[in-house]
Amino acid sequence: MSHYLFIQSQDPFTETRTHHQFDLIGQLHDAGHKVAVLLVQNGVTPARRGAKSDLFDDLLRWGVTVRADQFALAQREIDHADLKDQVGVADMDLVIDAMLAGHKVIWH
Amino acid sequence: MSDTKTLTFAFMEPPFESERTVTFFRLLDAALDRGAGVRVFAYEGAVALAFARQQPHGNAVHHRDSEEEDHPLTKDWIAALQEKAGSKGIGFEWINCGLCVDERGVSDVIEGCGRGGPPDLWRYASEAHNTLTIGTR
Repeated sequence: MSHYLFIQSQDPFTETRTHHQFDLIGQLHDAGHKVAVLLVQNGVTPARRGAKSDLFDDLLRWGVTVRADQFALAQREIDHADLKDQVGVADMDLVIDAMLAGHKVIWH
Repeated sequence: MSDTKTLTFAFMEPPFESERTVTFFRLLDAALDRGAGVRVFAYEGAVALAFARQQPHGNAVHHRDSEEEDHPLTKDWIAALQEKAGSKGIGFEWINCGLCVDERGVSDVIEGCGRGGPPDLWRYASEAHNTLTIGTR
Protein backbone atom coordinates (compact mmCIF):
# COMPACT_ATOMS: atom_id res chain seq x y z
CA MET A 1 0.00 0.00 0.00
CA SER A 2 1.26 3.44 -0.91
CA HIS A 3 0.29 6.87 0.36
CA TYR A 4 -0.84 9.38 -2.24
CA LEU A 5 -1.64 13.05 -1.90
CA PHE A 6 -3.22 14.74 -4.89
CA ILE A 7 -3.09 18.51 -5.07
CA GLN A 8 -6.24 19.25 -7.02
CA SER A 9 -6.03 22.70 -8.60
CA GLN A 10 -8.48 22.13 -11.44
CA ASP A 11 -12.24 22.11 -11.04
CA PRO A 12 -14.77 19.84 -12.75
CA PHE A 13 -16.89 22.74 -14.00
CA THR A 14 -14.31 24.21 -16.38
CA GLU A 15 -11.71 21.46 -16.87
CA THR A 16 -12.92 18.28 -18.56
CA ARG A 17 -9.66 16.51 -17.66
CA THR A 18 -10.77 16.40 -14.04
CA HIS A 19 -12.94 13.45 -15.09
CA HIS A 20 -9.80 11.36 -15.59
CA GLN A 21 -8.10 12.89 -12.55
CA PHE A 22 -10.96 11.92 -10.25
CA ASP A 23 -11.06 8.49 -11.91
CA LEU A 24 -7.40 7.96 -11.06
CA ILE A 25 -7.93 9.03 -7.47
CA GLY A 26 -10.88 6.66 -7.14
CA GLN A 27 -9.03 3.76 -8.73
CA LEU A 28 -6.07 4.13 -6.38
CA HIS A 29 -8.47 4.24 -3.45
CA ASP A 30 -10.25 1.13 -4.74
CA ALA A 31 -6.90 -0.63 -5.08
CA GLY A 32 -6.34 -0.22 -1.37
CA HIS A 33 -3.93 2.67 -1.35
CA LYS A 34 -4.18 5.45 1.20
CA VAL A 35 -5.32 8.42 -0.87
CA ALA A 36 -5.89 12.02 0.18
CA VAL A 37 -6.77 15.12 -1.81
CA LEU A 38 -5.98 18.75 -1.10
CA LEU A 39 -8.17 21.12 -3.07
CA VAL A 40 -6.40 24.35 -4.04
CA GLN A 41 -7.21 27.32 -6.28
CA ASN A 42 -10.41 26.70 -8.27
CA GLY A 43 -10.19 23.08 -7.19
CA VAL A 44 -12.11 24.07 -4.04
CA THR A 45 -15.31 24.92 -5.93
CA PRO A 46 -16.93 21.44 -5.98
CA ALA A 47 -16.49 21.30 -2.19
CA ARG A 48 -19.08 23.99 -1.66
CA ARG A 49 -22.30 22.64 -0.25
CA GLY A 50 -24.81 22.42 -3.08
CA ALA A 51 -22.19 22.19 -5.85
CA LYS A 52 -23.16 19.40 -8.22
CA SER A 53 -20.28 17.19 -9.32
CA ASP A 54 -21.05 13.47 -9.29
CA LEU A 55 -17.41 12.53 -9.79
CA PHE A 56 -16.24 14.63 -6.87
CA ASP A 57 -19.11 13.54 -4.65
CA ASP A 58 -18.27 9.90 -5.40
CA LEU A 59 -14.82 10.44 -3.88
CA LEU A 60 -16.43 11.76 -0.72
CA ARG A 61 -18.94 8.91 -0.64
CA TRP A 62 -16.16 6.35 -1.02
CA GLY A 63 -14.30 7.79 1.94
CA VAL A 64 -11.38 9.47 0.22
CA THR A 65 -9.90 12.07 2.56
CA VAL A 66 -10.53 15.53 1.09
CA ARG A 67 -9.25 18.83 2.47
CA ALA A 68 -9.63 22.34 1.06
CA ASP A 69 -6.92 25.00 1.19
CA GLN A 70 -8.10 27.67 3.60
CA PHE A 71 -6.33 30.39 1.59
CA ALA A 72 -8.20 29.42 -1.58
CA LEU A 73 -11.45 29.29 0.37
CA ALA A 74 -10.87 32.75 1.82
CA GLN A 75 -10.07 34.19 -1.62
CA ARG A 76 -13.44 32.92 -2.83
CA GLU A 77 -15.32 33.92 0.29
CA ILE A 78 -16.24 30.32 1.05
CA ASP A 79 -16.70 29.80 4.78
CA HIS A 80 -15.93 26.50 6.45
CA ALA A 81 -19.64 26.15 7.13
CA ASP A 82 -20.29 26.33 3.38
CA LEU A 83 -18.35 23.11 2.75
CA LYS A 84 -19.81 19.67 2.28
CA ASP A 85 -19.74 17.67 5.51
CA GLN A 86 -16.88 15.36 4.56
CA VAL A 87 -14.51 18.16 3.48
CA GLY A 88 -11.99 19.44 6.00
CA VAL A 89 -9.75 22.50 5.88
CA ALA A 90 -5.98 22.48 5.59
CA ASP A 91 -2.98 24.55 4.55
CA MET A 92 0.19 24.00 2.54
CA ASP A 93 1.70 22.26 5.58
CA LEU A 94 -0.32 19.21 4.55
CA VAL A 95 1.68 18.95 1.32
CA ILE A 96 5.04 19.46 2.97
CA ASP A 97 4.30 16.92 5.70
CA ALA A 98 3.30 14.38 3.05
CA MET A 99 6.48 15.02 1.06
CA LEU A 100 8.62 14.71 4.18
CA ALA A 101 6.83 11.47 5.03
CA GLY A 102 7.79 10.10 1.63
CA HIS A 103 4.29 10.00 0.24
CA LYS A 104 3.66 10.25 -3.49
CA VAL A 105 2.52 13.83 -4.05
CA ILE A 106 0.96 14.57 -7.42
CA TRP A 107 -0.18 17.87 -8.88
CA HIS A 108 -3.45 17.92 -10.80
CA MET B 1 26.09 15.89 9.83
CA SER B 2 22.83 17.70 9.15
CA ASP B 3 19.63 15.67 9.17
CA THR B 4 17.74 18.32 7.21
CA LYS B 5 15.60 16.78 4.51
CA THR B 6 15.66 18.45 1.13
CA LEU B 7 12.62 18.80 -1.09
CA THR B 8 12.85 19.46 -4.82
CA PHE B 9 10.27 21.42 -6.79
CA ALA B 10 10.08 21.62 -10.57
CA PHE B 11 8.07 24.55 -11.84
CA MET B 12 7.35 25.91 -15.34
CA GLU B 13 4.79 28.68 -14.85
CA PRO B 14 5.76 32.21 -15.97
CA PRO B 15 5.35 35.08 -13.50
CA PHE B 16 2.23 37.25 -13.37
CA GLU B 17 0.03 34.75 -15.23
CA SER B 18 -1.56 32.22 -12.94
CA GLU B 19 -2.67 31.42 -9.42
CA ARG B 20 -0.30 28.45 -9.59
CA THR B 21 2.59 30.83 -9.00
CA VAL B 22 1.15 31.93 -5.66
CA THR B 23 0.48 28.33 -4.63
CA PHE B 24 4.02 27.37 -5.62
CA PHE B 25 5.59 30.11 -3.50
CA ARG B 26 3.34 29.21 -0.58
CA LEU B 27 4.63 25.64 -0.83
CA LEU B 28 8.24 26.81 -0.73
CA ASP B 29 7.49 29.00 2.28
CA ALA B 30 5.76 26.13 4.07
CA ALA B 31 8.72 23.86 3.38
CA LEU B 32 11.07 26.34 5.02
CA ASP B 33 8.65 26.64 7.96
CA ARG B 34 8.96 22.88 8.39
CA GLY B 35 12.76 23.16 8.36
CA ALA B 36 13.18 21.42 5.03
CA GLY B 37 15.86 22.42 2.57
CA VAL B 38 14.49 23.58 -0.77
CA ARG B 39 15.79 23.12 -4.28
CA VAL B 40 13.95 24.59 -7.26
CA PHE B 41 14.43 23.71 -10.89
CA ALA B 42 12.69 26.41 -12.93
CA TYR B 43 12.09 25.75 -16.59
CA GLU B 44 10.10 27.17 -19.50
CA GLY B 45 8.36 30.39 -18.43
CA ALA B 46 9.32 29.99 -14.78
CA VAL B 47 12.89 31.09 -15.55
CA ALA B 48 11.53 34.66 -15.59
CA LEU B 49 10.49 34.41 -11.94
CA ALA B 50 14.03 35.42 -10.94
CA PHE B 51 14.51 38.05 -13.67
CA ALA B 52 16.32 40.95 -12.01
CA ARG B 53 14.80 43.69 -14.16
CA GLN B 54 11.20 43.13 -13.09
CA GLN B 55 9.72 46.51 -12.21
CA PRO B 56 6.71 47.46 -10.09
CA HIS B 57 4.17 49.76 -11.67
CA GLY B 58 1.26 51.96 -10.73
CA ASN B 59 -2.36 51.47 -11.66
CA ALA B 60 -3.87 54.46 -13.47
CA VAL B 61 -7.36 52.95 -13.43
CA HIS B 62 -7.28 52.87 -9.65
CA HIS B 63 -5.39 56.19 -9.41
CA ARG B 64 -2.51 54.57 -7.56
CA ASP B 65 1.15 55.29 -8.08
CA SER B 66 3.75 52.55 -7.96
CA GLU B 67 4.24 52.78 -4.21
CA GLU B 68 0.50 52.71 -3.47
CA GLU B 69 -0.08 49.81 -5.85
CA ASP B 70 2.72 47.83 -4.15
CA HIS B 71 2.81 45.43 -7.07
CA PRO B 72 4.29 42.08 -6.02
CA LEU B 73 7.36 40.90 -7.91
CA THR B 74 8.41 37.27 -7.95
CA LYS B 75 12.09 38.18 -7.84
CA ASP B 76 11.40 39.78 -4.44
CA TRP B 77 9.53 36.68 -3.24
CA ILE B 78 12.55 34.55 -4.16
CA ALA B 79 14.87 36.94 -2.35
CA ALA B 80 12.61 36.81 0.72
CA LEU B 81 12.73 33.00 0.71
CA GLN B 82 16.51 33.07 0.33
CA GLU B 83 16.70 35.37 3.35
CA LYS B 84 14.32 33.20 5.36
CA ALA B 85 16.30 30.06 4.60
CA GLY B 86 19.52 31.83 5.49
CA SER B 87 18.14 32.96 8.84
CA LYS B 88 17.17 29.36 9.59
CA GLY B 89 20.47 27.95 8.41
CA ILE B 90 18.88 25.69 5.83
CA GLY B 91 19.52 25.36 2.15
CA PHE B 92 17.63 27.16 -0.61
CA GLU B 93 18.87 26.62 -4.14
CA TRP B 94 17.39 27.81 -7.41
CA ILE B 95 18.49 26.73 -10.87
CA ASN B 96 17.04 28.04 -14.11
CA CYS B 97 17.11 25.96 -17.26
CA GLY B 98 19.71 27.72 -19.41
CA LEU B 99 18.07 26.93 -22.73
CA CYS B 100 14.79 28.37 -21.46
CA VAL B 101 16.62 31.47 -20.21
CA ASP B 102 18.29 32.07 -23.57
CA GLU B 103 15.03 31.66 -25.47
CA ARG B 104 13.45 34.37 -23.36
CA GLY B 105 16.44 36.65 -22.92
CA VAL B 106 16.12 36.70 -19.14
CA SER B 107 19.70 35.88 -18.18
CA ASP B 108 19.92 38.83 -15.79
CA VAL B 109 18.71 37.10 -12.62
CA ILE B 110 18.93 38.03 -8.96
CA GLU B 111 21.87 36.86 -6.89
CA GLY B 112 21.67 33.30 -5.66
CA CYS B 113 19.84 31.92 -8.67
CA GLY B 114 21.96 29.80 -10.96
CA ARG B 115 21.91 28.50 -14.48
CA GLY B 116 21.85 24.84 -15.41
CA GLY B 117 19.98 22.25 -17.38
CA PRO B 118 17.99 19.02 -17.21
CA PRO B 119 20.90 17.11 -15.60
CA ASP B 120 20.49 19.42 -12.61
CA LEU B 121 16.85 18.44 -12.29
CA TRP B 122 17.94 14.80 -12.37
CA ARG B 123 20.55 15.49 -9.68
CA TYR B 124 18.10 17.48 -7.57
CA ALA B 125 15.44 14.76 -7.81
CA SER B 126 17.93 11.95 -7.19
CA GLU B 127 19.32 13.58 -4.06
CA ALA B 128 16.03 14.89 -2.67
CA HIS B 129 13.91 13.29 0.01
CA ASN B 130 10.96 13.94 -2.28
CA THR B 131 10.11 15.86 -5.45
CA LEU B 132 7.02 17.66 -6.65
CA THR B 133 6.52 18.61 -10.28
CA ILE B 134 3.96 21.32 -10.96
CA GLY B 135 2.89 21.40 -14.58
CA THR B 136 1.06 24.25 -16.25
CA ARG B 137 -2.00 22.06 -16.90
